[in-house]
Amino acid sequence: MVIDLIIKIAILTGYAIAGTAIGLLFMGIGRKIVARVHNRVGPPFYQNFIDVAKLLSKKTNISHGWIFDLALLFSISGILLTLLFLPIGGVKLLSMDGDAFLVLYLLAIPSLGFALGAGASGNPNAGIGVMRALVMLLSYELPFVITLIALMIYYDTTSIAGIVESQHSQWAIFIPPFLLASAVADMALQGMLMEQPFDIPIAPHEIASGPMVEFGGKYLGSLMIYKAISIVVETTFFVDLFFGGGVIAHGKFSGIVNFISWLVLIFIFFTLALLINTAFPRFRIEQAFKFYWKYETILATISLIWVYWMVIT
Amino acid sequence: MLDIIIAELLLAILITFFVGKKLAAIIAFFISLLPLVALLDWASMYGFKFISFGIEKSMNIAISGITLHLAITPLSWFFGIMIFSLFPAIMLFSYSFYDKNDGFYPFMLLALFSSFGILLARDMLTLFLFWEMMSWSSFILIYRNKDKEATIIYLVFSTLSAFLIIFGILLLYSQNNSLLFSEINLTPNLETVVAIISMISGFAVKAALMPLHVWAPVVYSKSDEPFVAFLAGGLSKLGYYGMFLFMFSLPGAKIMEEYFSHISPNYILAVIGALSAFIATIIAFMQDDIRKLLAYSSIGQLGYIAVGLGIGSQLAITGALFQAFNHAFFKAVLFLAAGAVAYRTGKWKISELGGVAYKMPITFTIALLSIFTLAAIPITSGFAAKWLLYEAAIKAKYIFVAPIMLIAGVGAFLYSFRILYGVFLGGNNHPDIKEAPKSMLAAMFVLVLPMIIFVIFPGYALDMMSRALSDAGIASIPHTVFTIKTSLASYNAIAVLITLIAALIPAFLIYKSKPHRIVDFKDNYLAGEIPSKYENISMHAAHNFYKPVEDVMKPYFEPGTIEYYKGIYKGLAILSNTLRKVYTGFTQDYAIYVAIFLLTVMGWLIWL
Repeated sequence: MVIDLIIKIAILTGYAIAGTAIGLLFMGIGRKIVARVHNRVGPPFYQNFIDVAKLLSKKTNISHGWIFDLALLFSISGILLTLLFLPIGGVKLLSMDGDAFLVLYLLAIPSLGFALGAGASGNPNAGIGVMRALVMLLSYELPFVITLIALMIYYDTTSIAGIVESQHSQWAIFIPPFLLASAVADMALQGMLMEQPFDIPIAPHEIASGPMVEFGGKYLGSLMIYKAISIVVETTFFVDLFFGGGVIAHGKFSGIVNFISWLVLIFIFFTLALLINTAFPRFRIEQAFKFYWKYETILATISLIWVYWMVIT
Repeated sequence: MLDIIIAELLLAILITFFVGKKLAAIIAFFISLLPLVALLDWASMYGFKFISFGIEKSMNIAISGITLHLAITPLSWFFGIMIFSLFPAIMLFSYSFYDKNDGFYPFMLLALFSSFGILLARDMLTLFLFWEMMSWSSFILIYRNKDKEATIIYLVFSTLSAFLIIFGILLLYSQNNSLLFSEINLTPNLETVVAIISMISGFAVKAALMPLHVWAPVVYSKSDEPFVAFLAGGLSKLGYYGMFLFMFSLPGAKIMEEYFSHISPNYILAVIGALSAFIATIIAFMQDDIRKLLAYSSIGQLGYIAVGLGIGSQLAITGALFQAFNHAFFKAVLFLAAGAVAYRTGKWKISELGGVAYKMPITFTIALLSIFTLAAIPITSGFAAKWLLYEAAIKAKYIFVAPIMLIAGVGAFLYSFRILYGVFLGGNNHPDIKEAPKSMLAAMFVLVLPMIIFVIFPGYALDMMSRALSDAGIASIPHTVFTIKTSLASYNAIAVLITLIAALIPAFLIYKSKPHRIVDFKDNYLAGEIPSKYENISMHAAHNFYKPVEDVMKPYFEPGTIEYYKGIYKGLAILSNTLRKVYTGFTQDYAIYVAIFLLTVMGWLIWL
């Protein structure tokens, strides 16, 4: 009993550390990819590890009071919490204790903590940035939840672990309506990752990096960690829903194989987002809102009705 | 003993008319504990044993040939516990909120007394009597502020509600020849269905369900905060109590489903509830007046309860009751917090507020907790309620209701942040204010307690609800103290909480690793770059906060619902004006009318 608990805690800690490392690595590789598209050399792939280490060891740290500090505390803890409630490469972690709705709402904890800190910094740019982030959230969530509901109705479960398990024989992406749904969800993923054309909340040229304008030192370092883990969380969520969490093997070494296939899949979708990012300029916020609530929502609704029709017949 | 409680309540209403404001508040506080004591005594039917005075569970009062039947049921107990635990806290709040006694306390006590009556009523006449008494006392409380619009709109909608309810009661009476709930047998025929729909619409007025909500934003923004907290938190639940009574305790929902084979009014109620949640949420974040924002948020959150009642499955109803329970507390706290902020700053406009949290940290923390519950963040009990409703919608495969409800949940983040940033954070606009008075803080703290308890133990809340539901023949959903299980998934509250605490450790280590220095608000990114003549400029970007969405969405919300009511009013006015012309004032015309009437009657007789 106690040993089981210790093993479980060790596994969860391991995944938390791995998630952070993978996220930072992806960010570094991402910078390299973007640089190559721009025909630059770019920083080394481990640059983000150096950046975080540097920021966390700064001697000068500026705070604006205890509400400001909530940003640091809740951004890291909230995103780690979300990571552990997602099945990773077929390993369920804590995902049996919650479901997709829980993950949707858990994702709000770090953002809300971050938003509180940004608000308490007293800089108007931060307020505007958070406003943009929240409007983006409202925008991409509508098509995203519609596709999510399509999946839930088809597999008759709301738990992500359940959805992943139901896809053991066939990934959702190979069922026609979900091909459409996954295209919609991938665009929502673009918004979630805040890559162009949807990097409106952090637009550096307009509102001076928005919410994080007042953050420096350990605060900025922790936000970088938050960003790194959120890349892993968001892509994993997507892969869990449409690619069965990357599960391809069920044999002896299935654990390692599935882990690698999950890693490859989330890397593919992160890279895809980056390539779209390099090719597009930034939307204005109302354009992004219209894009998601008009075209994306129509496509998502078609897939939902299609699935509903498949289920009831 | 019950008669003594009722007599004491009535006596207190009289006394509070004549005493000073401090004494009135104290009397009102202690008297309002009486219904709560009665409920705790009756908790024995729930299996708890707190106190036992042996207060009788039922009583009949005979007044000049009419008998009022009063009795407690598990369902009224559940609704009672949320309404009556709000009241003493609100009295505590008013203790420092008012500086004179001008009729607030007696009418608040009357509202309390009538809601006690509504919950205990076991026949339709008693229910209606107390319902009218409640509407009337709240009307006086709104009238105190001398706002013409709010007074008239509340009067009109209360009358509408009363008409719809009495119409339903009469129809049911003509069917069953009895007013007692226990003697009503519903049969699926047209009269019964019309009666049930009429009753539900009547109760929906008080529950501020769209499109019958138009009175709520006006009344909530034009009345005193302590009363609004009770109106939004407590009295609005009575509307849902009424709906629940006629839909599930008397199986009206089943009858409607039997009568309508395809789309039943239950489904329409769920759709209206979801649309209400969605539209009110969108309108809420466009508001600049914090009371209006909270009013629309209230309409939205109450919409979820309607969705639960409309879906009508065991999961959905449990979720609806849970949502009602949460809403009673968090909305009361938010209105009180808004009242406390206004008490110190004298401002209601979000764009003029800002920076209140730095000077009122306790108010802020309490408001933050209730906002978390409102936004259904998983570390609060708000999540369990919404989660049950989402599960129910997915299980019933309501593909229209589910996404709308979910996106309304996301929209709640937007207006939550509008309150947090606009009122409490941002630029430091109020460097000279003080923390709210102690009695206000105590009131808000008491109300925030249930939210803290039920986040860790959602099972206890479900225990309470399942006993209320078993009365209506609805089984409870499988749960333990910490976890809720449905056929689709399960939710473990304690796992979320423990993991969050564990995940706070690395965050805390990073936080403690290096020291930090706390600086002033002027010491920011713009450091030294503010030209001296702009030095006192407000650094608070809360004006027109959600302008981009507003620009896109506003055309779809024009004209508002109230314009349609005004259209109906204009149509009626034109119609009446035309009809009025019949009365010309000339005797010849009237003679012609008589002649035409007689000819018609003769023609009819000949035709027969």
